[in-house]
Amino acid sequence: MGLQGLQTMQTKPNAGLFKRNPPIAGEAEAIERAKNGDPDAFSKLYSLHKRRVYTLCLRMLGNVSEAEDMTQEAFLHLFRKLGSFRGESAFSTWLHRLTVNLVLMHLRKKGLQLVSLEETINPSEEDAPKRDFGSRDTQLAGSVDRVTLERAVASLPPGYRMVFVLHDVEGFEHNEIATMLECSTGNSKSQLHKARLKLRELLRHPDQLPELESSREVVQ
Amino acid sequence: MSDLSNLDFDSMTPAEFEQYLPELFASGEGGKLSEDPRLATFLSANPDCAALVRDLETIADTAKNLLVSEQEPSDSVWSNIANKLQQQSGDDEPVDLSE
Repeated sequence: MGLQGLQTMQTKPNAGLFKRNPPIAGEAEAIERAKNGDPDAFSKLYSLHKRRVYTLCLRMLGNVSEAEDMTQEAFLHLFRKLGSFRGESAFSTWLHRLTVNLVLMHLRKKGLQLVSLEETINPSEEDAPKRDFGSRDTQLAGSVDRVTLERAVASLPPGYRMVFVLHDVEGFEHNEIATMLECSTGNSKSQLHKARLKLRELLRHPDQLPELESSREVVQ
Repeated sequence: MSDLSNLDFDSMTPAEFEQYLPELFASGEGGKLSEDPRLATFLSANPDCAALVRDLETIADTAKNLLVSEQEPSDSVWSNIANKLQQQSGDDEPVDLSE
């Protein structure tokens, strides 16, 4: 889906995402002022949303340098497109969709443009979760801590990581993910399930997970 | 995807359960699959499948907490944005974009 599709997706408010992305104090005023060209207001929007946008890019791309480049692109695009935001969905939801689509366009330009993403996001056989999914030796010992899960997510094949981040972390619905990834809803569900199975495997050996690239973490 | 409407939850095999699991999770509407009364008999008879469901629910629940764990981009990101916007403004009056 191109960025034009982003505009049409905005017309259907998603109550779940409003719930997960409640309005931020001062945001609505900053949006209106920024629409009228107030640079301080745009700066405020950047301050309010830079962490969420950057973290989304980092999780999708798994690379600090690329994530910073895409964060920059997302806000430059926001500056150009802000006038088309009509407030029918939460601003952060709209901005995250814009960011996701920019990241997907970036990935396609890097080599996914000649075939459908549905095919290319499927990992190789060795990356796929093992078939003995229900056996006792694949079970987790207990709870999973957040940092370990973050490291495991970073270790997922790109296609699995994409769907897992969009659905389980960002809260997008399967039909929204299918639209963004240009795949079927069934494929989104299947990819998510495989991603969780793969994470289950990875989380059984947390000592073997690679360390994350260093960034400044902010826990709210 | 698999159609759940004609599924006999009590008599399905673990292999059938595996086949239906993505759809079962997707149709959960936020409820826990491990607490779904339709699956109670099957899961109590198949502890490995019950453990799988619990593990996948744990992973999904923990993932929700990742949303509040955010990383800070370097200061150069805003500097670059401000510079590009000033370049784009061209001959227009200068734009002060101090964060």
